[in-house]
Amino acid sequence: MTTIAIAPTRVDVRPAVLAVLRWIVAIAGALVIFGVLMWTKGANPLTAYSSMFETLTRDTALSGIVIKATPLILAALAVAVPARAGLVNVGGEGQLVMGGVAAARVARLFGPGAPGGLVLVGMAVGAALVGAGWAAVGGLLRVRVGISEAVTTLLLNYIALNVMFFLIYDPWKDLAGGGQPTSPAIPVAQRLPLIGSGSMAVHAGILVALIATAAMWWVLRSTRWGFKLEVVGGNAEAARRAGFAVGLLLIGAMAVGGALAGLGGFAQLAGTEFKLRPGFLVTYGYIAFLASWLARHKPVRVAVAAVVLAAISVSGDSLQLDSRLPAATVNVLMALVLLAVFGWTSRRSEA
Amino acid sequence: MSLLITEVCAGAIAGGTCILYAAVGESFSESAGVVNLGVEGSMLVGALAGYAVTAEAGNPWAGVIGAAVCGAVLAAVHAWFVLSRRSNQLATGLVVMFLGLGLTSLFGAAYVARTVESFSAWDVPGLSSIPFVGPVLFRHDPLTYLSYALVPAAWWVLYRSRWGLLIRGAGERRHVLETYGHPALGVQYGSVILGGALAGIGGAQLSTAYANAWFENTSQGRGFIGAAVVIFAARQPFKVAAGAYLFGAALALSPALQARNVSIPILDNQFALASIPYVAILVVLVVLGRKRAAEAPEGLKAVFG
Repeated sequence: MTTIAIAPTRVDVRPAVLAVLRWIVAIAGALVIFGVLMWTKGANPLTAYSSMFETLTRDTALSGIVIKATPLILAALAVAVPARAGLVNVGGEGQLVMGGVAAARVARLFGPGAPGGLVLVGMAVGAALVGAGWAAVGGLLRVRVGISEAVTTLLLNYIALNVMFFLIYDPWKDLAGGGQPTSPAIPVAQRLPLIGSGSMAVHAGILVALIATAAMWWVLRSTRWGFKLEVVGGNAEAARRAGFAVGLLLIGAMAVGGALAGLGGFAQLAGTEFKLRPGFLVTYGYIAFLASWLARHKPVRVAVAAVVLAAISVSGDSLQLDSRLPAATVNVLMALVLLAVFGWTSRRSEA
Repeated sequence: MSLLITEVCAGAIAGGTCILYAAVGESFSESAGVVNLGVEGSMLVGALAGYAVTAEAGNPWAGVIGAAVCGAVLAAVHAWFVLSRRSNQLATGLVVMFLGLGLTSLFGAAYVARTVESFSAWDVPGLSSIPFVGPVLFRHDPLTYLSYALVPAAWWVLYRSRWGLLIRGAGERRHVLETYGHPALGVQYGSVILGGALAGIGGAQLSTAYANAWFENTSQGRGFIGAAVVIFAARQPFKVAAGAYLFGAALALSPALQARNVSIPILDNQFALASIPYVAILVVLVVLGRKRAAEAPEGLKAVFG
């Protein structure tokens, strides 16, 4: 092959440019398809997009995005960590809800008179533990029985939701809540403190999310455990022959992910909602799943993707107000963006 | 007591039929080596399309056709991404499900409070008056009767016909099929799309024959239950049907018990009862799962790891 010998040895920038172009085409394609869908529903796509953009330039937009991104970042990391070991954790919905349920349980246990700091720590620990346990079921069934964790974690989502419904419609129902099925609000002293001021104020849950992102970045990049997860994800058989306890690693990856999502449920309860209600964190788990796959499970990028999806979600509120489309409409845009990214930015070689 | 058993068995058929359609469809898809968790999305768009077309055309059979087409289109999206773009099957299926969820809330809002001229139960003359068997099997909607024919037909196609050999071959040894000049890719596309069409019909059965209503996320994970049924039923239509009816029975148990004021500790709550199908399928998967995982086609083992 003489062609190789005479080929110039300069750095070829074309693949990088092509990759960027592909991303632009992918996202533009998603926007066009979504525009057509809005148009068929009688909304003008151009005014809809401009009002979505305008929403993001308002004073309150930043705090809205940060508040929405907090549970999303944590739940997206809950997808990313198991994904490093080749696992597909679709249980974010259930793990978030169980985290919120556990946090509410701990707050009830301490009672309204207990010191806020102590209760908050207790809530966080309880939420992380219950989230970890809930996710570990999926890991355990995968390792011991050989059932796909994607199927089991999906089914567990519906059970988690029913657990919460059971509690807020019956034993935990706030009798002073005017008949609404909610748990009693946690007292002001036991809520997450606000950081920032005025329209920029957000609850401290974002710090939990950012610390978790940094921690997962470090754990996956620099620890033996992170290295082992990557080996298992690359080739489980090779990992087994190298003497790794593959089963424990898989269950551990699920448990760590579940703990992170549990913290997301805690942050939402103690920072934003203060009580459990039927719509508590609904579809957050699926949006977080999209974020992790959008960013190919690299923690820092996953957090950025979660913030971007939070921004799309916040901007989508204008669709409901200005274009009178259902609130969930913006989920279509998110799914289209991810499909476009799946379809157009992947190299054919990576399966 | 015997009335209760009759009621639960009849309820098993009524509530299990939509799962059956989705699960038989998923059996085709998985036999060809493609896991489609988007079956939940196909079911949702089918449920809405069935309801909306019935509302606009005034004929539930037109709704069934619309449901099959929409379910098939969504499955074709899944097929294109996983077969032609090689994206991860489980993740793509989830995204397709999420797309279906968003699309149906966008286009479904107009139909939430509407009533339609839906399917009504039709008692089979003669057969429906047989004690026990009659009320359980022969007092249902036409789509349920159609599903009685679907199960043996699907079994024959998958396990006795040349088509089935090609489908299972595509799932097991795709390159061998290609070596002998068969269009393995085309067979896989066809199987996934057929699966989506059947899931769509299942959705139509749910919205226009069983629930007679459309609301957001109306399928409530029934498509996922269908996908789980396929795993422990090892893609065999008769076992798939048995599994689907088992979960139909779990669904039927709660209203039947509530109507009789039967109180079982813990289970006397509607949400505890609503959890039964999901818990039950997890238990069945644990009991039967290991053996089934070992029997899966090679193409599926690559997906489930």
